[in-house]
Amino acid sequence: LRDILAKLNDMAVQKFGAKYTETRAQSLSKTMLTLKEERVEAAKQGIEDGVALRVLVNGAWGFASVGSLDPAILAGAVSDACKMARAAGSRLKTPIKLAETKTVEDRVHVKPKKSPSAIPMEDKITTALSINKAILGFDKLVKSCTIDYLDLTGTNYFVNSEGTCIEQDKLYVWSRITASAVSKGVFTFSREEIGSTAGYEVFDKETPERIGDRVAKRAVEQLAAKPPKGGSFPVVLGPNVVGVFVHEAFGHLAEADLALSGGVLPNNLGKKIASDVVTFFDDGTVNGAFGSFKYDDEGVPAQKTLLINDGVVTGLMHNRETASKFNVAPTGNARAEDFRVEPIIRMRNTFMAPRDYSFDELVEGIRSGYYFKSFRGGQANIDGTFQVGVQEAYEIVKGELGEPVRNASISGNTLETLLKVDAAGKDFELWPGRCGKGQTAFICDGGPHIRVKEVTVGGSA
Amino acid sequence: VVVLEKDEMLRLAENAVAIALAKGAAEAEAFVYEGQATSVGIERGQITKSNRIIDRGLGMRVSVNKAIGFAYTNIVDSQSAVKKAILEALSAARASKPDSAWSGLPEKRSFAVAEKTFDHKILALRPEDLVDVASVMLDAAAHADKRVFSIEGGTGAGYVSNALANSNGVAGFDKGTVIECSLAAVAKEGSKVTPVCFEFNAERSYNVDAEWVGAEAARLAVSALKTKRIETKNTKLILTQFALQDLLYFTLINAVKADNVQRGQSAFKDKIGAQVASENVTIYDDGLFPGGLRTAAFDGEGTPRQKTLLMEKGVLHNFLYDNYAANQEGRESTGNAARAGYLSTPNIEATNFHILPSGTTTEELMSEVDDGLIIYYLQGAHSSNPVSGEFSVVATPAWKIRKGEIVHCSRGVMLAGNIFEVLKNVSIVADNERKLGQLISPWLLVENVKVIGK
Repeated sequence: LRDILAKLNDMAVQKFGAKYTETRAQSLSKTMLTLKEERVEAAKQGIEDGVALRVLVNGAWGFASVGSLDPAILAGAVSDACKMARAAGSRLKTPIKLAETKTVEDRVHVKPKKSPSAIPMEDKITTALSINKAILGFDKLVKSCTIDYLDLTGTNYFVNSEGTCIEQDKLYVWSRITASAVSKGVFTFSREEIGSTAGYEVFDKETPERIGDRVAKRAVEQLAAKPPKGGSFPVVLGPNVVGVFVHEAFGHLAEADLALSGGVLPNNLGKKIASDVVTFFDDGTVNGAFGSFKYDDEGVPAQKTLLINDGVVTGLMHNRETASKFNVAPTGNARAEDFRVEPIIRMRNTFMAPRDYSFDELVEGIRSGYYFKSFRGGQANIDGTFQVGVQEAYEIVKGELGEPVRNASISGNTLETLLKVDAAGKDFELWPGRCGKGQTAFICDGGPHIRVKEVTVGGSA
Repeated sequence: VVVLEKDEMLRLAENAVAIALAKGAAEAEAFVYEGQATSVGIERGQITKSNRIIDRGLGMRVSVNKAIGFAYTNIVDSQSAVKKAILEALSAARASKPDSAWSGLPEKRSFAVAEKTFDHKILALRPEDLVDVASVMLDAAAHADKRVFSIEGGTGAGYVSNALANSNGVAGFDKGTVIECSLAAVAKEGSKVTPVCFEFNAERSYNVDAEWVGAEAARLAVSALKTKRIETKNTKLILTQFALQDLLYFTLINAVKADNVQRGQSAFKDKIGAQVASENVTIYDDGLFPGGLRTAAFDGEGTPRQKTLLMEKGVLHNFLYDNYAANQEGRESTGNAARAGYLSTPNIEATNFHILPSGTTTEELMSEVDDGLIIYYLQGAHSSNPVSGEFSVVATPAWKIRKGEIVHCSRGVMLAGNIFEVLKNVSIVADNERKLGQLISPWLLVENVKVIGK
């Protein structure tokens, strides 16, 4: 296959005058399940084989993708991609350039303890049914639960016109578990995700009982929760919420493509924008984590990228194109969801480094505020406005945890909020998730517990 | 552009059903899909790229002893790949558990006619033509105001066709086109950057208004330059289509899906015939809306699309059904089974969620607001509670209205409440209906929503 791909690159360069070309091929299998209550809605399997070609002609990108390995069709795709690039470049003012990167030849194997492809469908169904059973058996107020399961295995190929040639195994195991509880006209909703690049052994640690209890307990406890007050409050954020804050509020601003589009960070490189306790990383090398990989989809090795060090902005996340604009080395953040789409800058495992506070120390300084433990979703705008929706939260009254509150969210301006982070815990958790930026990427985010002097809480009371 | 022909796709689907039955399926359904899309992309003020995607596939759903299996392949020109997918669907069904409530695939019904969903002119567009459309949009934004910076956007032309066949004799083919253009822009003044302002136009025939998209994105961005804080209080809101689309998708639309109602996951359970919204609100799910972005002849399991009255003058009339949910109540599907191409089994989804307009112009609507906000973009709607309808979101930004005029914008304004309360507080529906994804709606004026200023 690598020879076929190399020939396509040659054709683009020799016949169509491409300055740079890359071909990516994938051969992937998926298994999926959907369960609603104790009913298996469908057991699903899929095969996705395809090729993507990306070419740089006259400083503009052309891209073509086809679900085929037929030589005639692939040759047609090369011609298409080059024509597309020519058309796109017809009014270009600033041609695209790529940062230099070492050429790589490598074959990356994954060595799971339990490969999902070796686990029979029946066993996966049994695991999912056990989660269901744990949730519905937790309390009769839990009325429904939905489990989605996905595993993906196979191989990605990357060959470019500079001589890089990578064959990289892919392995993902993912599940989303949601439950809702109802009592006296109050509806609650609870969700969790599990994700790993290690193997099916993720369910040995996150056992069906543990996951089920966690999801169901939250749904039931929230029944007694009250709506929070709206306004500005001091808060303690749990690692799960800190992760989403780091990812949404800061991470997206540190994606160099968004930074170039008018974000606030390019003017702040090397400057102190956050309090001393703030250190952020985006790390593609965490063993088995949901956002880890060895090479990105431009053939650049993943690395641990320091984004903020003790409050000072130290770097951004780059692909080869933005690295060239900033005159730095690419960071291995170019990711494509599959062969249908081109690689764009995405996060990997993004987190805040822990410090030295205990949870009690964080809470005891707050007279009236909130503890936000677990998130339901988050979003950001390049002007630095962020929002994180919260599915599990508690009042803090006179330095102690109080009543549960439900359906809160927090918002603020990223830079203002980073300066208000006044203490960070010594604990650390990393949580799997999925990030949408036109394409879906598997990621992790996390950190310690932290205390923030003031954020806006969106409450209806 | 070479596309798969109707006969070829139908034959592929019908053959797949026959093979599955011969291999032991009790029932079988084949969904053959083709999607072709050409697009040009704008990044940081210029056109930098052009993409072309050809995606084909077969999704195969079978039942064996009331257990459901599904498999897909994206290689449809290879008989062995197709056969493998059929066998994998069977093996998945055999590994799965029987569903005692399963009562079969849809029966044959005559299809409706989908109007204004295909335009051969879109199919014939070359990347150069799309570059022209994108340039019109970029120029319109640039000429509107020199403080405007176009961040990203593009134009795309797509063709989608599908053929569906099942073992009950259902067989159908449908095709459609879409052209869209979008632009995201900010305005910059000194060190001040506005939030991203966005415009969009998608049509099934070749009549997008690229100039309007560019000019409107620019106008919104510039109008967001002047900012001022607002206070926390309950106030009047005008919700534009962007905000409605976001908010309704994660709340109200979940509440009208029959499977959620049956599973106790909807606040509308046992509410048919009840007043659930203000009498200004009438909503259809119209799978046949001429030129609608989700209009088609049949749904993802071969049931004819239809126009379903969901809410009339605020009274709840009906829910959205696929075949499975309809069978649970011994009724007919409303044609709301949706698919993500060949990659998924059908799920209940709204088609064109149509909130009927009134005769009130937007000028008249604005003049009703002495003191309030107009909301275009929301952040965090996906973190709403999908069951209770409670939301807590940020307007990015909110524009302040005083005496019927927009006076400034305000950042970081949060809106918190419950969608079902919002529906009860809709006091005026405007006349400016537009299509946005699955929503077809005018602006709505809503009373008494809690806003939290900074």
